[in-house]
Amino acid sequence: MKALSLEIRDITVGYDRADVLSGVSLTANAGEITCLLGANGSGKSTLARAILGLTPPRSGTIRLDGRDIAGLAVHKIVGLGIGAIPEGRRVFPKLTVTENLRTGAYLVRDAALVATRMTEVFRVFPRLEERAGQLAGTLSGGEQAMLSIGRGLMGSPGLLIIDEPSLGLSPKFVKENFQVIRRINEAGVSVLLVEQNVHQTLEVAHRGYVLSGGRVVAEGTAEELKRHPELVAAYFGNHGG
Amino acid sequence: MDLALIAQHLVNGAMLGVIYALVAVGFTLFFGVLDVIKFSHGDVVMLGAFTALATSAGLVGSGSALPPAIVLAAMFIAAVGGMAVFGALMAKFLVLPLRKAPTLNVLLITLMAGTVIREAVRLFYPQGSNPKPFPRLLPTGAWEIGEFTLRYDSTILLVTGVVAIVLVHLVITRTRLGLAIRAVAQDPETASAMGIPFHGTVLATFAIGSALAALAGVVNGLYYSEVSFNMGLLLGAIGFSAAVIGGLGNVYGAILGGFIFAALQTIGAVLLPIASAYKDVFAFAAVILLMAWKPGGLLAERSADRV
Ligand SMILES: Nc1ncnc2c1ncn2[C@@H]1O[C@H](COP(=O)(O)OP(=O)(O)O)[C@@H](O)[C@H]1O
Ligand SMILES: [Mg+2]
Repeated sequence: MKALSLEIRDITVGYDRADVLSGVSLTANAGEITCLLGANGSGKSTLARAILGLTPPRSGTIRLDGRDIAGLAVHKIVGLGIGAIPEGRRVFPKLTVTENLRTGAYLVRDAALVATRMTEVFRVFPRLEERAGQLAGTLSGGEQAMLSIGRGLMGSPGLLIIDEPSLGLSPKFVKENFQVIRRINEAGVSVLLVEQNVHQTLEVAHRGYVLSGGRVVAEGTAEELKRHPELVAAYFGNHGG
Repeated sequence: MDLALIAQHLVNGAMLGVIYALVAVGFTLFFGVLDVIKFSHGDVVMLGAFTALATSAGLVGSGSALPPAIVLAAMFIAAVGGMAVFGALMAKFLVLPLRKAPTLNVLLITLMAGTVIREAVRLFYPQGSNPKPFPRLLPTGAWEIGEFTLRYDSTILLVTGVVAIVLVHLVITRTRLGLAIRAVAQDPETASAMGIPFHGTVLATFAIGSALAALAGVVNGLYYSEVSFNMGLLLGAIGFSAAVIGGLGNVYGAILGGFIFAALQTIGAVLLPIASAYKDVFAFAAVILLMAWKPGGLLAERSADRV
């Protein structure tokens, strides 16, 4: 699938009563890595959920390659070419590695194509092939992260939404993950990368946004964000990301 | 006790086990995908049996001398197909709209739905209050093996039930729909983020569970040659107990639970030969003890990794 663009205009999103995001706009250009930075609780995951339709926005528009998707059922939105790598990995613990990958290709009805994609995922993550028949719940955290990424790729998405892939992983794994994300993008997939790991994220991202308290407080190219006063104060000052 | 009698008990116990397992699998599937207990499930068993009964009455009453095999096939198809549709409709209009409601409300509403189904059959089926004879359409002969006789009809019913259980296993473990059912049971949100349609999967699950209930109802009717509007009460209670014994949400637990309950009843009947009416009391008491020993069921699992 070709790289997809995403254009979010002025959305308001909330769970029960209070709005978590208010008046958020964001553009992810086709073929780029767009990152979404921000402290814990600033609303990054809520934005990812709003795009997928898991927490539909109360107002505003979300356009995928020009088509308004706000209000569609989750599986319909995903079917338009979005791959999801959810926060906390969320592999299906009682499905095997292979079955987990199959869920990622649920909308692909061509069995040969599913097999080809699985081979590709195994090429990127040989560890998964070694564990192919194992239940996902028995994998290590790093392996579950690989599985979650692999599963998100199985549908051959035009836009990949990745929510904190490095959370809870060892520094070595984190570094590998960022390299994998860069390679996925170079293969022609737009990426929306939600992260707290500012330094490494801005190394791979083209553009980015910073959320705080449910609002966009900074945006620009990765180079601009590296010099942005808010970010420098919040992240680069005391605890370097 | 002589060998022939023991064998008789074994066949009877296996027959009951198959029927209970078919009912229990529905309970456990519904709980797996939606975390609900659908208390009208027993009455769907009954409605399935009455659908088959009405089908045979219609075919035989029309005067055409159809061979029994055709009538039987029509009965099974009408009951299983009819209840699959009925189950999906109940899921769509009764259970799914209550998805955000407290579990207790779902319980109450399905309980009432069960009463409505039961009373509707009692009131609207001709002489619905009385037990109805179920047509004996299966071959009546038997194999004589020494002292032991194995009736054709029991064998056919047993094989039918076992084949259905094996089919369920294959659907759940080998098909795309089965993958969707298991993924939704484990994590509905992530499943939908993978493109698995939540509503469609739930409807399909309720269709499968209700089709199995109908099958249980028809097998039960053919085995006892009688059905009644309230047969779903006991079968529902037993099916639910069986699902809980096995560990709600676990398909194999439900099958195991069905056979355990049948074994308990059979043991009860053997131990209390004069008062075999107490076999249900014995079986349910044993279930209570079993639950005190293993509160989560025999194949208990954390709620995160069901089905
Ligand atoms: N499922 C939920 N129900 C209610 N509130 C939630 C839910 N998920 C997140 N929130 C609230 O929304 C806010 C933003 O959370 P989140 O989007 O997860 O932030 P981030 O991903 O940036 O850490 C937090 O205040 C959080 O408490
Ligand atoms: Mg988050």
